[in-house]
Amino acid sequence: MNADVHALTGAYVLDAVSDAERAEFERHLRECEACAQEVRELRETATRLGRAAAVVPPPELRAAVLERVGQVRQDPPQAAVVPLRRRNTAWATRVTGAAAAVLLVVASVLGVLLVQARGSVDDAEARAAAIATILSADDARISNQGDEEGGQMTVLSSRSVDRALLLADNLPAPPAGHDYQAWTIDDQAAHPAGLLPEGGDAVLEVDDLGGARMVGITIEPDGGSAEPSTAPIMEFDLA
Amino acid sequence: MGDRVRRPRDAGREAQEPEPDGAELLQRVARGDEAAFVELYDLLIGPLFGVIRRVVRDPAQSEEVAQEVMVELWRSAARYSPERGSAMTWAMTVAHRRAVDRVRSAQAAADREENVGRRQLSRPFDEVSEQVATRLEQEQVRRCLGTLTELQRESVVLAYYGGRSYREVGELLDTPLGTIKTRLRDGLIRLRDCLGVAS
Repeated sequence: MNADVHALTGAYVLDAVSDAERAEFERHLRECEACAQEVRELRETATRLGRAAAVVPPPELRAAVLERVGQVRQDPPQAAVVPLRRRNTAWATRVTGAAAAVLLVVASVLGVLLVQARGSVDDAEARAAAIATILSADDARISNQGDEEGGQMTVLSSRSVDRALLLADNLPAPPAGHDYQAWTIDDQAAHPAGLLPEGGDAVLEVDDLGGARMVGITIEPDGGSAEPSTAPIMEFDLA
Repeated sequence: MGDRVRRPRDAGREAQEPEPDGAELLQRVARGDEAAFVELYDLLIGPLFGVIRRVVRDPAQSEEVAQEVMVELWRSAARYSPERGSAMTWAMTVAHRRAVDRVRSAQAAADREENVGRRQLSRPFDEVSEQVATRLEQEQVRRCLGTLTELQRESVVLAYYGGRSYREVGELLDTPLGTIKTRLRDGLIRLRDCLGVAS
């Protein structure tokens, strides 16, 4: 095993690494059972440090959490989304030839996900059609970003179709009183491109890409903002 | 949440009662059992909030993060598998990570100056008044932290309770990064052995 990477187990367990280092270490973990075992033990150890710091939480927190939980849909069991899961990765690719065929399979998987997500076959069929339209374009592009807990966002886009589809999968809920807002970003400014519907597996269609270089996602107060008030949490090149 | 919700357990007696099994609760929560979630909340919130409060420090932001974490546990309960560790550890991992993300993204520079970081070193537990950790738990951790070298202890405390990256730890302690990495690992391993953690 790579001694230098292996030395990161402590820093990794303590969340003291950068995002890039975390991604690299997690790749390493998948191939190193000894490291995975050490991580499990050191996590239990860190938990003991945590338990020793336990305090009485503010009483109103409980009611606030229970109220929100009543409104949040739960994720399906993991197996249902495994085919799409990339951990802590960011990737993008031009869609050409054989790759397009592969992506049609991806699209059908997304269709399945969408049925689960929305409980409506009609919706899912409309989405699948939109996905197919974008993927069949010569300049189709697919980008993906994800976090460690498995939340991710996939963006399908095509300039010639002038449309992008933002597909969230297991995305964590935004902070209370906030929404995820999408933006098309060109050289001059960021233009509002809609709010991501609530729920971790939401879909947002963005028409009229204009001269946008990228699509960005920010966290905005409920209802969205006229211009971004925070730095983007995700950016996707439309190249 | 309807009348299935059980009454909150008496917080004062909680420490003496046998803890409900977190893994079993999580499996019930994964099936949408809201009553199980209430029990899980009561089981986890003290330690989770303690850690979040230590890392985030600002009380209002700590509450926001704690809320996000509990909702995340509800949402992703189906992803928990007991083979990967206890429910408490799974939850604590999510909580610590979220708390660290919050302070890093906020870059709340003003209150995260060097002197604040240094102050954390001397008093890992005394900062917040209403402790619920049992004295035994605290004593064990305090004693085991005492078995670490000074550099190991300072590194682990700054990283875990202070939410610092190992780069920040290196700067705060004026120590090369490679040394900090190994001290964090060696320190945790020594704590693991002292606390008798087995997986």
